[in-house]
Amino acid sequence: MAELKLQHLDKIYDNKVQAVFDFNLDVSDGELIVLVGPSGCGKSTTLRMVAGLEDISAGHLLLDGKDITQTPAKDRDMAMVFQNYALYGHMTIYENMAFSLTLRKEDPNVIHKKVLAAAEILGLTSQLNKKPAQLSGGQRQRVAMGRSIVRNPKVFLFDEPLSNLDAKLRGATRREILLLHKRLKATMLYVTHDQTEALTLADRIVCMSMGHVQQVGTPLELYDRPNNTFVAGFIGLPPMNFYPDMLFEDGKLKGNGFEAELSDEEKDTLKDYYGKQIILGVRPENITADGPLQVKVVNNENLGMNTLVHGTVGNGAHLVAKLRGWAEYKNGDIAGMQFGRKHFFDKETTNAIRKEGK
Amino acid sequence: MTTASMSDREIRTDRMRYVKNTASSRLCYLAILLNVLYFVSIYKSDVGSWYYQILVGGSIVYNLLFMLMVFLASEGVKSYQKNYSWLLYVIGILQAARIFILPMQAHTAVIKLGSAERVVMETPQFIRCVVYLAASSACLILAAAINQKKAAALEKHIGATGKEAA
Repeated sequence: MAELKLQHLDKIYDNKVQAVFDFNLDVSDGELIVLVGPSGCGKSTTLRMVAGLEDISAGHLLLDGKDITQTPAKDRDMAMVFQNYALYGHMTIYENMAFSLTLRKEDPNVIHKKVLAAAEILGLTSQLNKKPAQLSGGQRQRVAMGRSIVRNPKVFLFDEPLSNLDAKLRGATRREILLLHKRLKATMLYVTHDQTEALTLADRIVCMSMGHVQQVGTPLELYDRPNNTFVAGFIGLPPMNFYPDMLFEDGKLKGNGFEAELSDEEKDTLKDYYGKQIILGVRPENITADGPLQVKVVNNENLGMNTLVHGTVGNGAHLVAKLRGWAEYKNGDIAGMQFGRKHFFDKETTNAIRKEGK
Repeated sequence: MTTASMSDREIRTDRMRYVKNTASSRLCYLAILLNVLYFVSIYKSDVGSWYYQILVGGSIVYNLLFMLMVFLASEGVKSYQKNYSWLLYVIGILQAARIFILPMQAHTAVIKLGSAERVVMETPQFIRCVVYLAASSACLILAAAINQKKAAALEKHIGATGKEAA
């Protein structure tokens, strides 16, 4: 069992800069939580506070009900995997994986069993006699994970472990981490700025911005029901199209030089905003071809299965549409398009406008 | 065969596929160190020209060769290579034999400096040299024996399990 509770965590540096504000999170046993956000949002700082590498300025950290806020890093029973692998170049892979256990003066036979078991899980058995320099980036990261696995920690902490890998290797290693999580059923905290990693790996995602938690939820919740414009814009690729200053009247949304039709349910959602301006959000994949909306095409990117159409709508508002299949548009073409699923946000607070009870 | 089904002894042997034979290689380093102590303590400046002889020249050259060969052997035994044990046995025996060459001759030699006669190597210095050489020899023979035993065990283990060597 490894249940982690982060209660009202703050991080204030000596120069009075506050990096994390009132961070609250309950992590269940065996859960994989991904902390995601742009650079400087405080996600790595939070992870380092959990690891014990940064002091916690305020709040409490509980592991299985025990307060470990002041416990030194070495006694927290957590293992961290870093972006730069942090392997010892002069040691073999076997020695790297066994190192932490050797320091603890564990029985060499027990160490051997643990290292071989971890190597088997990670497919590193044939590499154990090599030095880190002889391995690829993905293999090195697996070694770093193996070094964590042999310790059998209560919590695994990953700090952007795939950032140094190329795109193909990143995908493969990501799948390995997911398999590893399923196999070990361990509690994991994973930090990344890559929303694809977050969406594919997480049981739950914590989306952060400027040191504040913006939303905690399952990947689908964050994608489908973002709390505010930040989460809506951060999750999803290409990002959501936003149209501020849209006025709700006559059963339509008007603004930015165009009108958007609304369904009855959408009108019901916006019933308290009649005559008010809101922010309209539409995901590129929720835009379809052949509709009343006149889009002036600026650029056309064919991705094989999809086509990304960049254009302007109304009085020059930017629009990106992700259309199914191969579409051929030229710069300056006028394409008819249609908004599908729409998201609405309060203009003042930027929070999502939702129907009561939803 | 997995480690789960192995006895402690088998696991200890299986570890050798990944862990270097540091016991033997460290004994080799120790033998080199003892040899250095031997040859820096053998010479004395106040015994006239006794040391100006071919035997001492040969001893200096042998010291260099000794260090080179033992260092190479230390690398070999690290990875349980059996043949290096034989090399270490030979060097170890030669190291013991050296006691009866230069130190013994110096200990029994007497030179005349002016009107005074003196022994080239006094007893305390002789004992020191003998101890260094004997200890160095013992280290080499022990390193060879450990390596031979471990290498044989590893060879047998690999044959039985069909796993690859280090």
